Amino acid sequence: MSIATGQGTAVLAPTLKSKRVGPLQRIYNHRADYLYVLPALLVMLIVIAYPVYYTIELSFFKTPPNLQMKDKVFVGLDNYATILSSSSFREVTMNTLIWTVFSTLFAFLIGLAAALALHREFIGRGVLRALLLIPYVVSAVAASYVWKWLYHSDFGVIGALAVQFGLTDKPINFLDNLHTVLPSLIVVNVWKEFSFAMIMLMAGLQTVPEQLLRAAQVDGANAWQRFWHVTFPHLKSVSMVTVLLLMVSNFNSFIIPWVMTGGGPAGASDIWITQIYNIAFGRQRYGVAAAYSVILFIVMMTLGYFYVKALTRGDESRAG
Amino acid sequence: MTNAHGRKTRSGLPTRRRVFGYAMATLTTASLMSGTAYAQSVDLSKWSPEYIRSIAGTEKVDTAAECSKVVPLDYKGRLSVWWTGPNEASPDITRKVNDDFWAAWKKTYPNIATDAQNIDYNQLLDKLRTATLGNAAPMVVRLQILGGVEFASKGYFQELKPEDVGYKTSDFWPGAMKSDTYDGKTYGIPTNNETMAFIWNAKLFKDAGLDPEKPPATWDDVVKYSKQIHDKLGVAGYGMVAKQNAGNTPFRFMPQLWAFGGGALDEADATPTYKASQLNSAGTKAALQASVDMYVRDKSVPVSALTNTQNENQNPFIAGQLAMMIAHPAEYAKMVDLAKKATGADKKVADAVVENMRYGLIPKGPARRAVVFGGSNIHIIKNEYVDGGLDEKAAKALICFWTSPEWSTKLAWVDSNPGNLRGFKTEWMKERLNSIKFLDVTTSMLPNGIPFPVIPQATEIMNIVVPDMMQNALTGKMTVDQAAEDAAGKVKELLGGM
Repeated sequence: MSIATGQGTAVLAPTLKSKRVGPLQRIYNHRADYLYVLPALLVMLIVIAYPVYYTIELSFFKTPPNLQMKDKVFVGLDNYATILSSSSFREVTMNTLIWTVFSTLFAFLIGLAAALALHREFIGRGVLRALLLIPYVVSAVAASYVWKWLYHSDFGVIGALAVQFGLTDKPINFLDNLHTVLPSLIVVNVWKEFSFAMIMLMAGLQTVPEQLLRAAQVDGANAWQRFWHVTFPHLKSVSMVTVLLLMVSNFNSFIIPWVMTGGGPAGASDIWITQIYNIAFGRQRYGVAAAYSVILFIVMMTLGYFYVKALTRGDESRAG
Repeated sequence: MTNAHGRKTRSGLPTRRRVFGYAMATLTTASLMSGTAYAQSVDLSKWSPEYIRSIAGTEKVDTAAECSKVVPLDYKGRLSVWWTGPNEASPDITRKVNDDFWAAWKKTYPNIATDAQNIDYNQLLDKLRTATLGNAAPMVVRLQILGGVEFASKGYFQELKPEDVGYKTSDFWPGAMKSDTYDGKTYGIPTNNETMAFIWNAKLFKDAGLDPEKPPATWDDVVKYSKQIHDKLGVAGYGMVAKQNAGNTPFRFMPQLWAFGGGALDEADATPTYKASQLNSAGTKAALQASVDMYVRDKSVPVSALTNTQNENQNPFIAGQLAMMIAHPAEYAKMVDLAKKATGADKKVADAVVENMRYGLIPKGPARRAVVFGGSNIHIIKNEYVDGGLDEKAAKALICFWTSPEWSTKLAWVDSNPGNLRGFKTEWMKERLNSIKFLDVTTSMLPNGIPFPVIPQATEIMNIVVPDMMQNALTGKMTVDQAAEDAAGKVKELLGGM
């Protein structure tokens, strides 16, 4: 069975089921649709596909500081071997994992708590919601500079208050210490990101059926049981999407660590993305930086795969 | 103003200034004079504060007339230029001179449409690297003295020597011309050259039981004084700067390292070859140990030294919370500005700091007294890398104007010194000498200046390897020996072609 379209004949589902159609045939059959999206595809090829291809190509070359890019030297997989065997890679990877996991975890949990709190009706809810959104809308660069001064190891407000309240006898060393710098940056990142999680989860909370919650209450379920057995299952999909988006964002997070510490002191807050920037633009090893970027790209694509899976899960189950 | 003995100091200058000046007159300028003809319009062999005073105001210049011989004043063209100009930390006078310069340029060459971008010191190199990769560079760029060789070695710069814009090579510091030379060819012209000086707060010295008019003579004294000031007064002694990937760090640490006999390579030698790293030498380790002693053992310097640039030292200094630092002559003008802006009790403190601000020579070490021979050079980028193509005449007109005796003096007003040595003979130099406090001290340091290595890897060595070495040692991530060996290994790897 077939129906006429503007450009030709489109084959309907029953025919598809009985006869397997190749991808080229499918493209041909839908050529009009592809023509409509061709301009967008071309733009994507130029601004996404080509840079990705060029980065992968560059990752197989050495770019010494006295040579132009056109004179780069082919070194095969040397750049990957250099990265994977370096001690700094292990350190930076560990920092990246700590940064990503803890930033995501705390931003999600605080966002969830804020969303649950704001889901109830109370006086001033709108004002509070607006206030909690401020970190998300503030420029990351401006926020980083403000936090840098709040944390300042000699004259920071937080350190001064700690001394004034007798919590410490001297200002706390947040950013100039190997052990405190990364947790300090994570706090700033969580402050900046939790509003995003809050917005997403507030939207998710709208989908929880009120009748179910009331029924559970009538059945004697306490607040925790209602949350765990009724609310949270309805938030699963949106939670998964939120966590994946936060993870992608944190893996790629550059502004806060770069502005506040530049990856220091002594590399203690260096994460993949700051390391890539430093290697490329500080040390002009574009080939090594490209190889690093390819590794990051693979991680991102893996997360992206799960993100798409999470987004389309409902569609698949409906289709099945 | 009086000194520790109650005697009046002349013109507010430290009493030992003249002594320093005479002492400096006897110092050799060989390292800076090597490699070029000895026919300067300014006789470098006589270099001393008195000699500079004697020549100031002896030459009249007409910038427009000089530049018109290079490019006619009615030339119609377009120009793009990037440079690091005044920022929020600059003194007001620097901003005013900058505005005057661009107004004068527009008046002199009204038909050259100019797009001038003032880019942050720590971002200019990165931005230019990216722009040259994408053939989107400006026609003219003024870079820190360390920055040009990398681009010259990659073939981005057009050959450019003073004669191309109407001046003589011998009218520029030979050491500065060396920084513009790669593989025997010249790729730029110095706009300004300077050396820093040692600055201290005489009141804090006095309160800590030190001679308020006597700066530390050696780097060992700096460590000792810093501890004494911190222990007695609870304020930071020395304004150490150890931020990663920041030019401020090597400008303050390398003088210390050279003084102890160390080096990144052999740049402190009279005829450097730049072949092997000296970052693991005994001198380097001794200098690094002195820094560790101040930061870790004595805790006498700001804790925030690891994230500080010199800008972050300015507020503690004006607040009387920091006793010593290394900086440009402009620091005095900056402190005067900050004091003017202070109010209430802060104003009183700030005024007292300005009154008690002293400049002296950077301390000696066991090997020498040393300072970074700093400054900036101006370059022309080749046509194929310029966004929209190069207008060579417009570029040369600007460079003639910028490096003229007049504007190389005026633009360096409180920050630096004229790159064109004829600037020292102008009326504006005379005005500077009469109006800028402590200028003598920094001009006196010039013969002690050591240029950074003139190799493409220099920016990475100075801005990344050296600060990393400091941070590794100061944070305790590595011992002094390990940090020095690690840094030397990185330099060796760099010199080996990666």
